[in-house]
Amino acid sequence: MFDQKGQTRIIEAFLAIAVIFSVLLISVTFPSSPNLDRQKFLANSGTQVLIKLDANGTLGNLIMQENWTAIKRSLDILLPIGVSFNLTVYDENLRPINSQAVQNSNLLSREAVSVQYICAAQNLNVQFFVLRLQLAWTR
Amino acid sequence: MSRKRSNSGQILLIAAFIMASLLLSAQLYILEVGKTTGELESDSLNDFLLAMKLGSRHVVIGSLANISNGGQSGNLAGNLRKWSSLISEQYQFGKSVLTYAVKETAPYSSGIWTSWSVNGTGISSAYANFTYKLSDREVNVDQSYFMNITTAVFIESSYQTVSGDTKQVNVTISLLNEEAPALAKQIAIYYRFLDSWQIPDATNNYNILDYGNGTYIASFVANILSQNVEVSVHIVDQREIYVQANATSTQI
Repeated sequence: MFDQKGQTRIIEAFLAIAVIFSVLLISVTFPSSPNLDRQKFLANSGTQVLIKLDANGTLGNLIMQENWTAIKRSLDILLPIGVSFNLTVYDENLRPINSQAVQNSNLLSREAVSVQYICAAQNLNVQFFVLRLQLAWTR
Repeated sequence: MSRKRSNSGQILLIAAFIMASLLLSAQLYILEVGKTTGELESDSLNDFLLAMKLGSRHVVIGSLANISNGGQSGNLAGNLRKWSSLISEQYQFGKSVLTYAVKETAPYSSGIWTSWSVNGTGISSAYANFTYKLSDREVNVDQSYFMNITTAVFIESSYQTVSGDTKQVNVTISLLNEEAPALAKQIAIYYRFLDSWQIPDATNNYNILDYGNGTYIASFVANILSQNVEVSVHIVDQREIYVQANATSTQI
């Protein structure tokens, strides 16, 4: 009788440990929440860079000249080190117009943020563009 | 005593379940808090408003450049219509509505004022008012702003007779964008000879000094029969906005 009680308590203790352990296991395997500070920093950096390029009309003029190399170089210089980007430029009817990729590396399998920017070209013939800039940390 | 001892295992299990539920709820809470993106959206909205105002400014500048170079005065309203339509199609923060009104009070007409006078002053200007409204469950924005883009040129001209009808003419040019000194992209100077306008060149010892602060001094020598030495300055600023001014030179 005494032995059976002992065995029952051991089983109960094991059950209790199993419950705690399984909860810990579940919490570890929960999808980790994305690091919002880093994502926010990326999105802010992307928007600020586009605003900086657009401030004196440079961005719109470079798009109208289809100078994708200059746009890529500007983004390379202005964005923080360790950030990958991919820029797609659409016309006002949302047709992509950049004939070559404006990116510094592939964003595949990376956690990316996307920034949308509306731009008007300060030119004799005013044109409108929608820009979508995707950003991700290299590491 | 024996009853108490027989319940202790069940208490252990219940305590384990309570701890487990506490752990789980804490984990869920952390995840939910992590999903809060209100601050992120607030920053993005401010950036969106800034970009919209920048775009409005570019539209007004581009339209003024077009009109001052010979385009239709209705181009300003046409371009603003397209711009407000594009902004109103943006739904990432809620329902956006951008409305505009070009200035119609004198001296503006269709939002444009060009005054290329003979008294040494030239003005090319555009003016539009904007109202932006954004309505969403969490945020309401109601902002009004205006864009007044003005390129102005002021010229002063003087001359002295070198010999006979040969005159040395000096023209001082000041270029302003929104009342601040600005640089020119192109400057063309003309002087009146009989009924036609002539462009001074190297044969006239034409020379222009750029002081780098929006001030230029041009000088040339020309045979001008009349004592009324009229000059005309045509300028395109860095924004492609064209402006011109005429003046009659004073003798020194």
